[in-house]
Amino acid sequence: MPVLEVKNISKRFVEEGNEVLALEGVNFTVNDDEFVCLVGPSGCGKSTMLRIISGLETPSGGEVIFEDKPITSPTPKISMVFQLFGLLPWKTAQENVEIPLEVIGVPKAKRVEKAHEYLRQVKLEGSENVYPHDLSGGMKQRVGIARALALNPEILLMDEPFSSLDELTARALRDLVLGIWRKRGENPNSIIMVSHNVEEAVYMADRVLVFSPRPGRIIGEVNVDIPRPRFDHRRDQQYFETVDGVMELLKNGKGRV
Amino acid sequence: MKGYVLKVVAGLALILSLAYLIGAYSPYAEMRNLPAYTVSTVTRITVTLVLSVLWGVSFGILAATNRVAGYVVTPVIDLLQSIPILGYFPLVIGFLFTWGAFGVEVSVIVLLFTSMAWAVFFGVVAAVRAIPANVIEASRSFGITGWKYTRHIILPAIAPALVAGANLAWSDGWFFMIAAEYIEYKGAIVSPPSGGIGVLLARSAYFYRDMGMAVQLLVYVTVLVVVINSLSWHRLMNRAGAGTFKPLLQIGLSGIGKMGAREASGWFSLEHIQVPKAFSAFWQRLEDYTRRQKMLTAVIAAVIIAVFLIGELHHLPSASTVAQAFAQPPGEEFGGIHWLILMTMGRLTIAYVISLAVAIGLGVLAAEHKLAAAIINPVYDIGQGVPILALFPAIYLGLGSVFGSQRLALEVTCIVMLVLDMIWYMFVNVSSAVKNIPSEIREVGSLFGFKGMKRITHIVIPSILPAIVTGSILSWGTGWNTVIFSEYLPSTGPGVPDVYIPGLGSLLDKAGYVYGNTILLVVIVTIIGAIVLGMEALIWRPLLRRFEKYKVEV
Repeated sequence: MPVLEVKNISKRFVEEGNEVLALEGVNFTVNDDEFVCLVGPSGCGKSTMLRIISGLETPSGGEVIFEDKPITSPTPKISMVFQLFGLLPWKTAQENVEIPLEVIGVPKAKRVEKAHEYLRQVKLEGSENVYPHDLSGGMKQRVGIARALALNPEILLMDEPFSSLDELTARALRDLVLGIWRKRGENPNSIIMVSHNVEEAVYMADRVLVFSPRPGRIIGEVNVDIPRPRFDHRRDQQYFETVDGVMELLKNGKGRV
Repeated sequence: MKGYVLKVVAGLALILSLAYLIGAYSPYAEMRNLPAYTVSTVTRITVTLVLSVLWGVSFGILAATNRVAGYVVTPVIDLLQSIPILGYFPLVIGFLFTWGAFGVEVSVIVLLFTSMAWAVFFGVVAAVRAIPANVIEASRSFGITGWKYTRHIILPAIAPALVAGANLAWSDGWFFMIAAEYIEYKGAIVSPPSGGIGVLLARSAYFYRDMGMAVQLLVYVTVLVVVINSLSWHRLMNRAGAGTFKPLLQIGLSGIGKMGAREASGWFSLEHIQVPKAFSAFWQRLEDYTRRQKMLTAVIAAVIIAVFLIGELHHLPSASTVAQAFAQPPGEEFGGIHWLILMTMGRLTIAYVISLAVAIGLGVLAAEHKLAAAIINPVYDIGQGVPILALFPAIYLGLGSVFGSQRLALEVTCIVMLVLDMIWYMFVNVSSAVKNIPSEIREVGSLFGFKGMKRITHIVIPSILPAIVTGSILSWGTGWNTVIFSEYLPSTGPGVPDVYIPGLGSLLDKAGYVYGNTILLVVIVTIIGAIVLGMEALIWRPLLRRFEKYKVEV
């Protein structure tokens, strides 16, 4: 059952006086309990697509349907993890997680408790009162993930969440996110992630959508049937074949432009 | 190109016809000189600007790239920048009396230089320091060194900062034009032989006390500045990308040189007042020195001590001349100096708080609402170019009729002047900081639904705190400059007494302008310098360091 429908989205914006078409006729759906990954060459508009879903940007044409209504502004039910973490430097880890809760009116005692709980989930107990300045990149992104999860979102958006981390940290965080998502009966229900790392996409997603270079269109879709947890299958033939399949689509996409 | 030529012609025609009309309809014969005097003032400021750029670029690059120079040059320039324009008076007198008419012209340029040069220097230093390490390493790996390095790496990298700094210097020049072109010395007035708009402005305001005339000239200067800005600076700033550059934000950090600042504030920090710490820090560093470095340090110290001793014996004024200076007027007022300091500080504090509140309000409004920006920004552009010193007598006369008492009128005038002066630095820092809030932080704000006051208190204000501190440093700096002119309204003709309110500024005026008591002038300037540096060490630098963490690392 689809929880989110992207219908014929296009996005134009003006860059140095020239009109640029970033996205053109993008259609896809995201199902209940599904992990979808958008991959494509840099500048193809996949991050813009994510921002349109989050309500941060408005499309030039088309609409994104969530709970039977088009998305027009950000909602706590759709939360986001940023590439550069997006933490407020003047708030501690704890306060950074608390603050979106404060905005939606959660009482003080409750939000302190929740922030603690989610910081524990991302294994940051003991660093609650540290400022982002004094956290490592991996720890910052853990705070970013805890902050997004604390809102108990239906859909979690992730914009290249691991691309500014070193590979070892990134691996640990990928499994952490997958672990949280796999917990039955708890949000987030579905995850949409933007990535330019094909191995990462295949490792994490149920479905990989491949974008063409600008203007971004979906030029292919790969279903990933590898059983979970995929850590046990990361050396399987099937894993490498799927990665090659996505790579092939990316290459063809480039050839067509 | 054709359109641009047309614009230049139209601009010139507008200025010339305005100058002609003002001159033709004025009751004072000297106003006929307005077109010629305009050329003279514009040339003067341009010459000073060229000198400032040449000096700023060469010393700025030197101070930012050379460690030794950085240690010496930056603190010295920081100190020089803190000295008000009048503090350079003793220097100027040398030219005034020895070189005749040419000497006066040189003096005016020297005075202008002392208020224009800093913006360029600090802009350049900050920009050179901001060149990313990877760019430096890459160019090293390709063997780009020496002049090639300067030409291909440093100069392009500092271009936006340079243009922005030069533009700031240019505005400063117009601002201090009156103070520089209308020098009062021992009761007589010295003006450059080639004339200037500042001369006419000062004459109509101070001598004729004709506010109508002064306002006409002010409007004229405003039009002139706006036309020149739109013809040159706007194009230049756009081309260099200087609009997106924020040199002001970084000035504070480049102050006394990176290491020096931290240590200096350590010496003064309130928690542990320990003067000997300065020495212990020095001894600690000395331990890391190589033998050759230790030798070098010893030699430099020996030379400094020797020079000092020789200077003490031969050139510095002897104890008896100093005592004599204190015995002459206005030396007798020196007894109550602590009250004078307190009163002037009080005026500055009131004006600062007002400017802070208004600038934050307007700056945030201008950055958050397009419509508000469309109104506030042009007003700012025009306002910053108006030489408010010329407004001084006008505001005083206006307020004098409102308040019965002369003293109260001048008191309020002084604070109004200070606010008008300090607010620009706060505003430009605040609004550029609001504009430069990183997009991710903005997105976080909208994604999590921060609105209204929550957005301002949680997102906007914290991200501009560093800029507020830098703006405060600059505001106080310029405030000290202005307080000197706004505590004292000199006599405008026979029978009209001087009006002043007691304070450090009016005492300085008396020492400098009225009695020509140079030694006392130097003493007062030293006190002001000490207050400025003390505030920087005790208040601003600790705050800057604290807010450094608030910077978003991108």
